[in-house]
Amino acid sequence: MLKYLLSFAAAAVCAVSAMCSAISASAGEPYDVYNYDRWGDAIPSQAGYIADRAVSGTDLGVGSFDSPSDIFCSHDGTMFIADTGNNRIVSADAQLGSAGRVYSEFTMPDGSDTALNKPSGVFVSDDDVMYIADTENSRVLVSDLDGNVIREITKPVSNVFDQNKTFMPQKVLADKAGNVYVVLGNITTGAAMFAPDGEFSGFYGANRNAPTAEVIRDHFFRAFISDKKKARRIRNIPSGISGFDIDGDFIFTCSSSSSQTTDTVKKLNAAGKNIFADRELSFGDYTPIYDPTQNKVFQTAIIDIDIADDGCINCLDHTSGRIFQYDEECELLFITGTIAKQLGGFDRPAALESYGNELFVLDSQKDTVTVFTETDFGSIVHKAAKLHNDGYYEEALDPWYEVLKRDGNYRRAYVGVASALLRKGDYRGAMKYAKLADAGKIYNKAFEGYRLQWLRSHFSAIAALIFAAVFALSALRRYRNNHPHSAARKEDSL
Amino acid sequence: MMELSQVQWVRHILLHPVEGFEDMRWKKAGSLNIAFFIVFMLFLGMVADGRLFGPQFFINYDKTFNIIPYILRSIVFFAAWVVGNWSVCTLLDGDGTMRNICIYSAYALVPYTAQLFIRTILSHLLVRDELVFMDIIRFTFIGWSALLLFFAVKSVHQYSPAKTILACAFTIGAMVIMLVLLMLFMSLVQQVYVFVYSLYTEISYRIRV
Repeated sequence: MLKYLLSFAAAAVCAVSAMCSAISASAGEPYDVYNYDRWGDAIPSQAGYIADRAVSGTDLGVGSFDSPSDIFCSHDGTMFIADTGNNRIVSADAQLGSAGRVYSEFTMPDGSDTALNKPSGVFVSDDDVMYIADTENSRVLVSDLDGNVIREITKPVSNVFDQNKTFMPQKVLADKAGNVYVVLGNITTGAAMFAPDGEFSGFYGANRNAPTAEVIRDHFFRAFISDKKKARRIRNIPSGISGFDIDGDFIFTCSSSSSQTTDTVKKLNAAGKNIFADRELSFGDYTPIYDPTQNKVFQTAIIDIDIADDGCINCLDHTSGRIFQYDEECELLFITGTIAKQLGGFDRPAALESYGNELFVLDSQKDTVTVFTETDFGSIVHKAAKLHNDGYYEEALDPWYEVLKRDGNYRRAYVGVASALLRKGDYRGAMKYAKLADAGKIYNKAFEGYRLQWLRSHFSAIAALIFAAVFALSALRRYRNNHPHSAARKEDSL
Repeated sequence: MMELSQVQWVRHILLHPVEGFEDMRWKKAGSLNIAFFIVFMLFLGMVADGRLFGPQFFINYDKTFNIIPYILRSIVFFAAWVVGNWSVCTLLDGDGTMRNICIYSAYALVPYTAQLFIRTILSHLLVRDELVFMDIIRFTFIGWSALLLFFAVKSVHQYSPAKTILACAFTIGAMVIMLVLLMLFMSLVQQVYVFVYSLYTEISYRIRV
């Protein structure tokens, strides 16, 4: 008995230590690296990014940041950080090795000097024009990189813009044509859009209200209740935009309301139409995730969005501190980050930027920028996803196989392999991988091809079988007609 | 006339939905074994329909498999129908015995059971564009079963059509009441179990100390 117990204990110790080593081997991160399988369950996965370093203002040599709230990387790789509490914009090189210029004083067109007051957004266009959301000064400054203000955009005088509302720019960006888009904290009807000459031209990209049962019910009851009661009821207005990024001709927006489920991430074309609207996409965690170490339930609230050079969509969830990375087809690639004190964790993540194969996350509580670098696994996945999305399915096959070698649970890779095999004409293989990936559409196509192939190759056998069956039936009938005894018995029985 | 084996009776009823049950009643035919077999096949068909569909139509969550819902949807529902129909129609001057209600209702379910299997097989042969064939089969067979069930109730109790509809509606009501009571009973049993178990735990701790 004792012997049995001892061996059992030994086995248990072995199992536990094996489990621990498995976890620590996959991580080296202060958080669980996970992904979603084909049923939408969270499962452990390989890390696509690891935290490399955290850079503070002191490291840059410009004194520590004070609740910085935006980071932007310009086309030539210069980083701009909106250091809100210190009323300045800090520029640095792409490696965040040393600071470049620090912008705190600007020269107005008439020659006078002006200072920033709690700037919370910065954007630099491809022709080196800097746009600053100067929040507490209620203006957007348009300046060159030497600090000479070209234009000042202030609260628009327009029938469309409610004059009782303050004008507090939070985030700003400009498109190629020079139109300026401004996210305002108190406006839920979308971003304010200004023409290149600074004239207000309306709102852009408002969120929709999800037609939930509750909303429909409220709408119904609203017809019967008095105005007084109406004013007391919860209003069904969609949340406003909390962050955005521009990628070529498309503007991506995100909304950080945790109660909102539609339009949390939008891809808007020049007309303001959401291209993701008709696709059933979900961003962030599928279900709110309970973290026992913090005794908290995380409901995804995406505070900032960034489009990488290769088209990947990075979403920063400020409740759980996670960065959700999607490829341009909105397939989930990686989940990185957490709320933690260690490197790789954040206190209050505020903004996200990417350059090359690095991710930069600005923390407005730690006052640092955390730099994540791509792992080997991440680079293979990115390569494969890029090839796949560009239509080079067959070229993507080898990288996808490599991904599966490293992580057999990586669902995206099964989809990639299935598409590639389908393109190649290997229908059986495509069916196998599509089934593993829960990709019904690809399976359907592969099966259609396989069925046709099978029918073609077995056509003579099938034709012979049908012919034999017809012959056998007619022979049976003739036999029955020639033997009236059995036919009579049959008739009798009916 | 009409010297059919028990299996031939099933065929006869399927092909003569309107007067088939009257014939069978007149001949006092019908086998309880075949009825139970049909209900068992219904259960298997539901499992097949839920789990074995072709991946081009539906991929199920096969990490876990719980058989209880399938049993509930086939065997328990059927039993509730038989008991409910018997209790309602006893009050409504029906002629049917419990045995006959069970047999007739089960025979009426043959097309429904068949379409479960046929659709499962077809789902491995068709592609998504051809889904309409499966839908046609489904609706035809379900309609066929509904028709059969109507005439089964009508002939087993010797009702007029209007009274049959009334009896069916009452039966469904009786089924709902029975299932709700069953659920209440189950939760009560569970609570009693939890109570007894906690009592046992408490006592066992005290004895040990």
